[in-house]
Amino acid sequence: MQPQQRKVPLSSGELTYFVAGEGRPIVYLHPAGGVRWTRVLEGLAKSFALHVPVIPGFDGTSAHGAVTSMQGLAKLMGEFIDKVIGGTSDVMGCSFGGCVALWLAAERPDRVDHLVLECPAVFRPGGARPADAEALKKLLFLHPEKLPPESKPPEQEAANRRMPPHYRATDDPDSELLAKTASIDKLTLILHGTADRMIPKESVQLLKSRMPRSYLVYVWDAAHAIEVDQPERMLSLVESFLQRSEGFMVNWGTLALDAG
Amino acid sequence: MRYTVRAAALRESGNGSPHLKFSFFHLMPYTHLDLESHDWPFPNRYFDAAKASALYKTYVESMIHAESCGFDWVGCNEHHFSPYGMMANCNLIGGALAYPTKRVKIAMIGNLVPLNNPIRVAEEYAMLDCMSGGRLVAGLMRGIPHEYLAYNIPPGESWERQREAVQLILKAWTEPEPFGWEGKHFQYRQVSIWPKPMQKPHPPLVISASNADSAKFAAEMRATMGMVLLADLPSGKECIRIYKETARANGWEPAAENVLVGMHTCIAETDEQARRQLAHGLKYFDEVLMGGLQASQRIVLQKTRYFENEESRDRWKSRLDKRRTLTLDEAIERGTVLCGSPETVVAQIKRIHGELGHGVFNFTVKVGTLPDEVIRRGMELFRDRVHPHVRDL
Repeated sequence: MQPQQRKVPLSSGELTYFVAGEGRPIVYLHPAGGVRWTRVLEGLAKSFALHVPVIPGFDGTSAHGAVTSMQGLAKLMGEFIDKVIGGTSDVMGCSFGGCVALWLAAERPDRVDHLVLECPAVFRPGGARPADAEALKKLLFLHPEKLPPESKPPEQEAANRRMPPHYRATDDPDSELLAKTASIDKLTLILHGTADRMIPKESVQLLKSRMPRSYLVYVWDAAHAIEVDQPERMLSLVESFLQRSEGFMVNWGTLALDAG
Repeated sequence: MRYTVRAAALRESGNGSPHLKFSFFHLMPYTHLDLESHDWPFPNRYFDAAKASALYKTYVESMIHAESCGFDWVGCNEHHFSPYGMMANCNLIGGALAYPTKRVKIAMIGNLVPLNNPIRVAEEYAMLDCMSGGRLVAGLMRGIPHEYLAYNIPPGESWERQREAVQLILKAWTEPEPFGWEGKHFQYRQVSIWPKPMQKPHPPLVISASNADSAKFAAEMRATMGMVLLADLPSGKECIRIYKETARANGWEPAAENVLVGMHTCIAETDEQARRQLAHGLKYFDEVLMGGLQASQRIVLQKTRYFENEESRDRWKSRLDKRRTLTLDEAIERGTVLCGSPETVVAQIKRIHGELGHGVFNFTVKVGTLPDEVIRRGMELFRDRVHPHVRDL
């Protein structure tokens, strides 16, 4: 299923996005490396109407002059949902995108249904992000052999990784965001790779302790990029969560009265 | 009174000191069989529950007695479907030891984690740690090949299940919030064990390290490396070298106490008595307890990927073959059995310790049909005439 690239005019400028699949809407907010069409996204597009906005400034798009903070970015994503989806949507964010997703749930709760935070970059220890591309690759992937064929030039990926500071995303705990997390009442699935050396487990533990309706699941044999390292397991888990809500906790076996 | 004074002195020497530690390890064999080998699983029509009941009592009592004889650990392990060891769940024995003992470490070396529910292992070990006041040594073992038939677990998944299960158990002990686990072999949506272990961040681990792969894994997990039945000194030395090298590469320096070396042990008044008794016990051990395992082992080894490479498989087979062909005298000479008068055993311990530099000596005391009264006497000889000469090594 090939994603279609589209553009939508928003109050601060034009936003590029991809859409694939049909069904219940889900918005995927990409990590600092930009959009990567992984097997998880391909799988989600088989059951959901998947929307993948390109955060302004990433993947060769222009930054919006008026949007210079994570909070501002979250409001922009809320506007995107207003205009393109027109109701609530499940939201999934990966790493940097996970932080945007959290802000979105805090700022525009009326637009968020289920929330999936994949190794959200709420805070990370200083120096955990090496400048060297190979070192970064080792940090991101436990199984780089599973990477989908990459069409993105390395310069583009490097330019993408310079964007988070533009939105004042820092490595320190975002105290303003953390203060808001306790009031986020969305059903939330937090994922962390057992071999993630980019985001410390304490970061996701903190989120789990503060978010009243959250579930933390460790994905074994995965580093930071869970989608690449363990796509089948992650997809199955996320789909189960989105389709069954709290019921995802139950092992339904083959004799479920109501699998929905 | 003599026991009490000696025990108090031993307590003062304390656990946690750099002294060489001694572990009283029990296989809990079923000893009422004729000298007849059977393939595994051993038909249980030969099992007599009344005799087993008496054996359990004797075995547990001797383990409790080990505390007053200077031992630092008392240990046992898990085996299935054979008279080799009557401990399908060694944690039950750990529970029986927790209250009558006060000082010794309760060493479960250990649960076969690839075969079991890792959450259950984490829970039971946490119980034992709390019940014993923080004295658990948590063995997370991979198990020998034929055990995989017992619980219908694919032997080819052995290593992967071991790696995943150990990480899951550590998570279960240390996570402050309920968590889920999406693994390849184990999946849980909500885990929050009660109780958690008393020792923080978790009880000390022992992981089997009898070959290069397992030695590396033990070091990566910051576990004590366990060679419960040492094959020979050179291979033991090599495993210790690999373990230490891997530990350093993973940012930590193992202490002597992180190396456990074990062997059959028999101490008697004279060398001749010890050799005669141990030879008697070994005959039953080799011919009945070990003899029946060969067919099932061969199938697992030949038809599955229990070992990740041929080198590891061949090394394991040659270790077994070596064990079968060695005479007792040769085994003593090679430093893989402790046997003799107290003075002889002191010399043997010093020699082996000098070669390996380990910090925990694991004595397998119930070798086949070695009589329990001989073991009891050996424990007292250890207390009075061996331990005082080797505890400061």
